[in-house]
Amino acid sequence: MSNIAFEDDRDLAEASAWLVRLQREEVSEADGLEFEAWLDAAPGNRAAYEHVVSLWHEFESAAPQVQDELITLDRRETRRIVRGGGTRRWWLGAGGMAIAAGLAVAVLPGIVAQQATAETYATGKGERKRVTLADGSIVDLNAETKLSVTYGRNERKLELAEGEAIFDVTHDARRPFTVAAANRVVRVLGTQFDVRHRQGDLMVAVARGKVEVRPMTAAASGRAFTLTPGQKLNIASSGREELGAVDPQEAFSWRAGRLIYRGEPLANVVADLNRQYVEQIEISDPELGKMPITGVIVLDNQPAVVARLSLMLPIRSVPSDRGLLLLRK
Amino acid sequence: MAPSRPSQRPADHTPLAQAFFEKRENLLLFLAARTRCMATAEDLLQDLYLKVAALSADDGDVRAPSALLYRMAANLLVDHVRSTQRSSKRSADWRRETRASIGDEEVSSELAADEVVISRERVRLLAEAVAALPPQMGKAFRLHKLDGLSQKETAQAMGVSVKMIEQHIQAAVRQLSQRLRG
Repeated sequence: MSNIAFEDDRDLAEASAWLVRLQREEVSEADGLEFEAWLDAAPGNRAAYEHVVSLWHEFESAAPQVQDELITLDRRETRRIVRGGGTRRWWLGAGGMAIAAGLAVAVLPGIVAQQATAETYATGKGERKRVTLADGSIVDLNAETKLSVTYGRNERKLELAEGEAIFDVTHDARRPFTVAAANRVVRVLGTQFDVRHRQGDLMVAVARGKVEVRPMTAAASGRAFTLTPGQKLNIASSGREELGAVDPQEAFSWRAGRLIYRGEPLANVVADLNRQYVEQIEISDPELGKMPITGVIVLDNQPAVVARLSLMLPIRSVPSDRGLLLLRK
Repeated sequence: MAPSRPSQRPADHTPLAQAFFEKRENLLLFLAARTRCMATAEDLLQDLYLKVAALSADDGDVRAPSALLYRMAANLLVDHVRSTQRSSKRSADWRRETRASIGDEEVSSELAADEVVISRERVRLLAEAVAALPPQMGKAFRLHKLDGLSQKETAQAMGVSVKMIEQHIQAAVRQLSQRLRG
């Protein structure tokens, strides 16, 4: 399609170059004069530049909405790829099952098609991963997390051996979705929630729908809880249970590369950060580790993160054998 | 749209003031590269005019009025960027924080007073255009333009040079403007 406003793509290329050049920190009068000469050189130049600037401003004002739309598009893309079946997955323990299934095929094909298979997904330090399961449910894995998934005819069974994940569950009343972690079972029909299992401590936060958390076996200690949106349950490895309120979006913030804290002890914050970066942070004394942190930490790069921490608390960092040592300022 | 042309004052007769009125549109486009929107660029242009008018007739009688105008405009931008940096950085963090909540549902995000209401259809077009960019280029554009990181921060986040980021942004703007023309 031809356009009368600007001659060709070259005008837009030049206009883009000018936009970026004028955004540099040190723009001089010479830049201004040269820019003006270019603007006046051809009518297409001015039209192209006006188009480029107005687009730039449009992205500025619509940034949050465009960002959301992109997240939706990314999601759709992930689903498409997984459904396409072209991706390689990490199968664990599936080998034996495949042999068993192969033997059974001739006998009971109907059942074999429904045979549950376990899949394990894992992430390493600093790694976050989004997985779309066979029913369209989406799971976001935080760093250093191990999750196994077993889908059967009447159930969707997951086990969070370690780590943290957000589950966005496709509704299927016939097949309850359960997540086992720390001797508890989290049971749902269709909802969105975050489960965190670190060093034996369990945390479940709910954004949508209803979630039930109960001891894995009837004989086990602990009672059953039903969580509604905005509720959070902490069960410490000691067995202490605590039900509280949570802004689900805060609990879910790690998915977007942010950590949000309200009065969280520095030691816990550092433990979270040490899952994200190879260089490990140590705290010089335990008293310092108890200092509460409130704020948003954007997980871009470690030096920037440590710099932000030192704005929140009176601390400074020095290099150490393992990485960084935090000291009182 | 533009503030009404100020009434004639003695300073309007200086070569500098005359040059200002002749080059008004060019100066506006020069300023617009660094502002959030055209209205802010208009405000800065008005500030520039006030500075021009404040110069006495002698000061305004310069040999190279264009160069002086762009120097003054560049200085205004330095002050403007410095004064907005702190507040915009905070608002970018705030934006990042509240934006996460929009990802799922039932969230009321407050619109800033100057925020333009944009149609869903247009948002979709903009997002699709960004999604169609090559991966590295798209990542640079998203971090810099949508997340509000500076070019330097974007470079650190991606582990490449600032120069590289500038090239990515330039190429991204070019592709986006080609796709979203008309």
